[in-house]
Amino acid sequence: MKKYLKYLLPVLVPFIILLLPASSFGIDGMTLVEQRVIAIFVMATLCWVLEPIPIYATSVLIIVLQLLLISDKGLWFTKSAPAEELGHLISHKALMGTFASPIIMLFLGGFFLAMAATKYRLDVNLARVLLKPFGQNPKFVMLGLMMITAVFSMFMSNTATTAMMLSILTPVIALFGRDDLGKVAFALSVPVAANIGGIGTPIGTPPNAVALKYLVDENNISFGEWMVFGVPFVVVMLFIAWLLLTTLFPASIKEINLNIKGRFLKTPKAITVYVTFVITILLWLMGGLHGMNSYVVALIPVAVFSMFKIITKEDLKKISWDVLWLVSGGIALGVGLDKSGLAANAIEAIPFAELHPLLLIAGASALCLLMANFMSHTATANLLLPLVAALGASMHSLLPYGGEVVLILAVTFAASLGMSLPISTPPNALAYASGHVETRQMAKVGVVLGIIGLLITYAMLYVLNQLSYVG
Amino acid sequence: MDKINIICVDDEREVLESVSRDLAYFADMFNIEECESAFECEELLEELDAQQEYVGVIISDHVMPEKSGVELLTEVALDHRFLGTKKLLLTGLATQADTIRAINNAKLDNFLEKVWDPQELQQTVKELLTEYIVEKGLEYEDYIEKLDPPTLYRLIKC
Amino acid sequence: MIKPYLKYILPVILPLIILLLPSDSFGIDGLTLVEQRVIAIFVMAALCWVLEPIPIYATSVLIIVFELLLISDNGLWFATNGHPEVQGTLIKQSTIMATFASPIIMLFLGGFFLAMAATKYRLDVNLARVLLRPFGSSPKYVMLGIMMITAVFSMFMSNTATTAMMLSILTPVIALFAKEDIGKVAFALSVPVAANIGGIATPIGTPPNAVALKYLVDEYSVSFAQWMVIGVPFVVVMLLVAWVLLNRLFPADTKTIHLDIEGQFLKTPKAYLVYVTFASTIILWLLGGVHGMSAYVVAMLPVAIFSMFKIITKEDLKNISWDVLWLVSGGIALGVALDKSGLASNAVNAIPFDSFHPLVLIVGASMMCLVMANFMSNTATANLILPLVAALGASMTSLIPFGGQVVLILAVTFSASLGMSLPISTPPNALAYASGHIKNTQMLKVGVILGSIGLLVTFAMLFILNKLGVVGI
Repeated sequence: MKKYLKYLLPVLVPFIILLLPASSFGIDGMTLVEQRVIAIFVMATLCWVLEPIPIYATSVLIIVLQLLLISDKGLWFTKSAPAEELGHLISHKALMGTFASPIIMLFLGGFFLAMAATKYRLDVNLARVLLKPFGQNPKFVMLGLMMITAVFSMFMSNTATTAMMLSILTPVIALFGRDDLGKVAFALSVPVAANIGGIGTPIGTPPNAVALKYLVDENNISFGEWMVFGVPFVVVMLFIAWLLLTTLFPASIKEINLNIKGRFLKTPKAITVYVTFVITILLWLMGGLHGMNSYVVALIPVAVFSMFKIITKEDLKKISWDVLWLVSGGIALGVGLDKSGLAANAIEAIPFAELHPLLLIAGASALCLLMANFMSHTATANLLLPLVAALGASMHSLLPYGGEVVLILAVTFAASLGMSLPISTPPNALAYASGHVETRQMAKVGVVLGIIGLLITYAMLYVLNQLSYVG
Repeated sequence: MDKINIICVDDEREVLESVSRDLAYFADMFNIEECESAFECEELLEELDAQQEYVGVIISDHVMPEKSGVELLTEVALDHRFLGTKKLLLTGLATQADTIRAINNAKLDNFLEKVWDPQELQQTVKELLTEYIVEKGLEYEDYIEKLDPPTLYRLIKC
Repeated sequence: MIKPYLKYILPVILPLIILLLPSDSFGIDGLTLVEQRVIAIFVMAALCWVLEPIPIYATSVLIIVFELLLISDNGLWFATNGHPEVQGTLIKQSTIMATFASPIIMLFLGGFFLAMAATKYRLDVNLARVLLRPFGSSPKYVMLGIMMITAVFSMFMSNTATTAMMLSILTPVIALFAKEDIGKVAFALSVPVAANIGGIATPIGTPPNAVALKYLVDEYSVSFAQWMVIGVPFVVVMLLVAWVLLNRLFPADTKTIHLDIEGQFLKTPKAYLVYVTFASTIILWLLGGVHGMSAYVVAMLPVAIFSMFKIITKEDLKNISWDVLWLVSGGIALGVALDKSGLASNAVNAIPFDSFHPLVLIVGASMMCLVMANFMSNTATANLILPLVAALGASMTSLIPFGGQVVLILAVTFSASLGMSLPISTPPNALAYASGHIKNTQMLKVGVILGSIGLLVTFAMLFILNKLGVVGI
């Protein structure tokens, strides 16, 4: 592809869409606002796929274009058409509010927990203690590493977990023989476990949070409910990944020693961190009992840590605001599709009902997996989930298979399973940078795990639906 | 207010006392610690870290028995727990090779020669502390009386 | 002095007592549980901001979390299961959380982006260099120049950042003054004074202005340009007063001074983009209604442009003062709670404020604000006083001949920025005091005089503007 195309296309194509007559889309009674939503959606897709600008900037762009083109405080000419043709303008407050939607707050709470854990070395110390029972046999040490990485990445960002675990591993890998394939296994085990582990909780990885936006009302899934199926899925996948890695890349070294120094901090602040961490997770798991939903619970550590100066205003700056903004963009995209009425209109116009529902589930998640391998998982989820959610809501033929929830969860899980290239996820990039893994090896593991992962997802959702746990 | 420590390391008692005396200016806001060897300093660092206290500046002599100042400061430079801690080498007996190692490996922030000018030492520590506090994002307002204004103005951005 | 432990105990005990009191003990008819909890949260916020047991932005987070726990639809089980009559109206959780990204926060965010880009591409230093040239080398006029530039910058940048930048330009110059030359004091004080005053001129100049915008809605809404129509003349007058005062009190002996600022305007494509975006954003803000976009939407334009072209990278995002944004959010959340719970209108009806003369109210409220702003954060002061004053202003019909709610809110907002008589009053004061050239008493003298004159000028100006029909009804 020509280089300049990646800059040209995201500008030209949306422009053309804006200028086309409304009747050319084949959707009856399409309003101007809906047409603009399509243009913004196309622009977002092109920007996230071709990446002419940073991915979080695309999110900001989405929100700003929405403010300019489809909000009640937009540019003068965007509001001048007769109400019939124009459609529903969206309130600018609602659009700006996506920067602080409950889902963002959930993530913010997760960031606070992770930052405090790192600052007070809870992560390293836990890793030290938890790794001890796994002995010194490389096979089991690897299992231990993968379990711990997965557990951590349920609550911390996958990237931060990978970076931490790789820094523990680096001195160990250096002791391996030159041609020992075990190096590959170890270097790959961490990103694989981190990617898989993120699936375990709603705050484990941004695509999960995006999915929550569409799981509302009767489809609502609480923190605890998510973990009930997320954690078993992670356990199964980890086990498979472990088997795969040890079979493909057996280590010839006989024993390895992980040497992690340090001890648990015992200052009052450190103890506050431990207690808050545990309580927050408990509150999340208890769900309904205390009346607070997970979004409100997420703000408790934020308050506690800023009160006691555990997270100072300087630490506040270290939060990955770009990740939060990236998710906001996805939410704004969904708000645009939904509130403009486009989602409902478009689905009616296109005869999706003729599609077999299983084909839809399999097709959508396979597409998601494919995209997630080549672009940011969050961006993939941002693009596919609003479409899939709209589809799922309208397709009655889906109901016997569990309805919208099953479709959304399948796609969300698929988004986290894309890990066959160094560019697929930041954890992959970090592991690749260690120099012990070749692209080919990563691709093999990633493709196998991706396909198995999808199959397990279907099986799991089928079982859950039969048990009437979801859907 | 967070506790910030200034650690002085020298194997000669008199030198240590004289450095401390010159730094008495900081004593009401900062904790001044004295160590007679690199090992004592390492122990102290562990202890301070367990209490989650800050180490703002380490002022170390170079020629000491068992472990040299440059070795000590190199270890500190590589320890992620003391990221940002300012390192000052105070010595009269460093060879060119030592000096090169000190700059390359220990990432020295300042170098003063024995015999030092008390005024200069105080000013240097002042600047280093200012840099440490702003870079670490501590509340500079709390310590502002003892900080170096020009450095402060240069570093504050928001 | 109060005992040190009181500052930790009071903010816990008093709100608890308020929570536990029977609801008829407040003397407000039909006080609901939610309203009672709002009172408790407000008292907690007031105590935390005044006594500062925890960082001021943490107080804001605490407000929001307590609102979520106690008065939101997803709060604690015992807080949401009361009888609807007794309990009152719960507030939606998304409404409370959205205060973290309310349009006012976005306005400020846009301001931060402009300021960050200006600093990164050295627009600020280069502008200072060019603009200072016409002021020659007589200390008097150089000082005037410095004050004007500081004031203009602090209209768009944070007062603290402006002060730090200007002081770092000034430091080498002040060092050349003779030891006993009192002119040093004048120079060192001129910068924080100008920065504090300059912040008044635009809605994004200083956080209290943003908080005020929250209460200036509907028929009272003040646009960016309208604010500047009021703010800029005020700043010009106050700057002249301050300049005359500083020259009188601390005349310089030095005959000529030279400011030596090095550098040249960057001419890379990105730098041009920064210049153009900066200028267009300000123009769009000033044009107001013509293009249909509100100031809040305009503020998002630099955010989008700078992140698209990697002028502000994701690393730079980390330099944003998120604590300031959160501090403002807390104030907004407090206002939302007072308003949506119905407490504001209930309480005002219960207390016979109407028997006050409206002028007494305007003068009293702004003086109280000025006093508080001298001892605590200007933003926290505004966060506390503005919601009360706004509720009062809306209900007092006797205020209308004097311009109504707007006049009251603006008077209080301006006085929040005039508190600058102590080193602890504002961060710019603390920075200037740290230079070691100023004594406490000197700062106090200048601050008190300027504060009093400032209040009088505010009253006079609002009176005239009201007569001219620019503000009020």
